[in-house]
Amino acid sequence: MAGLVRRHGMWVAAFAVMLVLPWIFQTGFAITMLNQIGVLIVFSLAYNMLLGQGGMLSFGHALYFGIAGYFTAHFLNGVGEDWLPYFPVTLLPIFGGLIGLFFGIGIGFVSTRRAGTVFAMISLGFAEMATALTLILVVFFNGEEGIQTDRMVGPEPLGITFGPDIHVYYLISFWCLVATAAMYVLTRTPFGRMSNAVRDNPERVEFVGYSTHRIRWLAFALSSFFAGLAGALHALNFEHVGFETIGLEQSGLALFMVWIGGARNFVGPILGAILITYLNSNLSDITDAWYLYLGILFMVIVMFTQGGLSGLVFMHEPIWKTDYRLFGRMMAPYALGIGSTIIAAIGVIGMFEMIYFLSTRVTEETIAVLYWMEVDAASALPWIACAAITAPGVAACRRTYPPMANSYNEAIAAVKGRMAP
Amino acid sequence: MKTPAVELRGVWKNFGNTEIIRGIDLAIEKDTIHAMIGPNGAGKSTIYNLITGRYHVDRGQILLNGEEITNQTPHEINRKGISRSFQVTNIFHRMSVFENIRCGMLWHRNYKYSFWNFLGRQGELNRRTEEIMVRTGLASRRDVLAGMLSYSDQRALEIAITLASGADVIMLDEPTSGMSHGETEQTVELIRKVARDKTLVIVEHDMGVVFDLAHTISVLVYGEIIACDVPQRIRGDRAVQEAYLGTEVA
Ligand SMILES: Nc1ncnc2c1ncn2[C@@H]1O[C@H](COP(=O)(O)OP(=O)(O)OP(=O)(O)O)[C@@H](O)[C@H]1O
Ligand SMILES: [Mg+2]
Repeated sequence: MAGLVRRHGMWVAAFAVMLVLPWIFQTGFAITMLNQIGVLIVFSLAYNMLLGQGGMLSFGHALYFGIAGYFTAHFLNGVGEDWLPYFPVTLLPIFGGLIGLFFGIGIGFVSTRRAGTVFAMISLGFAEMATALTLILVVFFNGEEGIQTDRMVGPEPLGITFGPDIHVYYLISFWCLVATAAMYVLTRTPFGRMSNAVRDNPERVEFVGYSTHRIRWLAFALSSFFAGLAGALHALNFEHVGFETIGLEQSGLALFMVWIGGARNFVGPILGAILITYLNSNLSDITDAWYLYLGILFMVIVMFTQGGLSGLVFMHEPIWKTDYRLFGRMMAPYALGIGSTIIAAIGVIGMFEMIYFLSTRVTEETIAVLYWMEVDAASALPWIACAAITAPGVAACRRTYPPMANSYNEAIAAVKGRMAP
Repeated sequence: MKTPAVELRGVWKNFGNTEIIRGIDLAIEKDTIHAMIGPNGAGKSTIYNLITGRYHVDRGQILLNGEEITNQTPHEINRKGISRSFQVTNIFHRMSVFENIRCGMLWHRNYKYSFWNFLGRQGELNRRTEEIMVRTGLASRRDVLAGMLSYSDQRALEIAITLASGADVIMLDEPTSGMSHGETEQTVELIRKVARDKTLVIVEHDMGVVFDLAHTISVLVYGEIIACDVPQRIRGDRAVQEAYLGTEVA
């Protein structure tokens, strides 16, 4: 037991967290969100098998997510209506995975012949085709309405009915953990390493005996398996699969989660899935401009980080591995830099909120609620106030960023100095 | 006569309208070191690219141990036993030195596309990777990302990846370029050791290295082999001196 904890500490911890989370967040809202996070962690990790591990930018990976969702819904309905034999609901994610795998093998064979832009464009083409099909093949996709289903079918061993969301929570988190572990192990296999090699330098891969096409194809197929697994979980979670699960927006969501969390690190997509889903559930109720902020966050991360948020964390890895006391000198500059950013953001967000309020309101009302205060968006005062926060905030950013970067560089230099013999 | 390890029969290659390789006939005997020399742009790297499948030949045949390999894909040719290095460093930048070398070894230790073998547990594989790392002087850089290495370390890694396969035919394209004098000497020693039971082809501008290592030398000028012989006779060859060597090594 002690050995298990030592060797697989992270996994044991994840398992423990998974068990206790529903006791901490007991509301229905929280459980719904946790379920969605579980589904999207699997999906974004699957997506990152392509993007981060294999260097393939896909705009259409939701295809395998969505299609597996539809098949799962039909399967459940078939069992419910007794024209299909019973299959344990607990194992349905495997069924979804196999559906994803099936389509991934077929489509992947064609699309992975080339990498880069060609691959991206082909993925876009297939995504558009699939979206069009949802409206044409009405028998299967049922147009814009999608497919309704009921996960409470068949026997109920140990009283697990999958009626309450909490049952589904344990189903999803179990599969999330299994799929995450499986995808992690995959990165440590010959296939996983050669997939990285193809990402870094496809040409050389051919000269160490591997076919780049085969590796990409395999990566694509396996990734589609996990996307399909996530799709099945999605169907079980919502008991509904709509055409939006298959299309560009869902693929774009994966891209956002992975990029914001960081494609270069295994945990990046997990971080991204948690953060985006959390913000999406919470912010979308508070502000209509949520997508605008998501877009800005995405742009800032693409432009100013290497490897997203997890990249920002792990760029400090050499420091904590060498001597965490080096962080001492970085505290003040970091606090100042982050503080200035927050001040500037408060001002900018205030203005965005007022613009949004004024341009989307349906009545002549000009009183908006901004930062828990009622302000008259048609008067000059709140605008002046926001500007008065933004301007010094931005100025402070310009002053505090260089020292922040300096303190980082100094710490890294110190690390290098200690490593040199 | 024994079957040559590598044989070219009337090989031609054009880029656009320019004939770059113009009817090459060449046989490299098994378990020997063959050096290919010639002025810049003579077509040495192009010949490597033709043999290893990077470019298609326009006319002619290429044989490996008597078996035709003309215009097969690079990975097919590599699997049949030719491993090459590149003149312009061609490594996996975002992977560690150790991972780079192991990638060179995987196929040839029969792992293929395995997604069920946990790499950490492959003792023999990892031991051999470490061994190559030590032999190429990269042991102290084990976990450094390849893209972060100094230029000469990247050159060493280039060679290490090539050697990792354990192929019977090793083709090195200017392996010592960019290395210091000391590093060059180490590399030459390494090549000599590696070549003991292998066929080794080397393109090299450093004539000291060439005449030190090679059993046979071919001289390439404008896409044609103007001489192919043992080092002593290449040294004395009139045409070679005029075309290429000048008086430096005579
Ligand atoms: N892919 C290509 N397309 C067009 N021309 C090429 C290509 N590759 C090589 N060449 C041309 O073929 C000629 C021979 O090039 P190659 O690289 O084989 O010379 P080399 O003998 O290796 O020279 P160096 O000693 O400088 O490495 C050069 O004139 C080069 O410009
Ligand atoms: Mg060359």
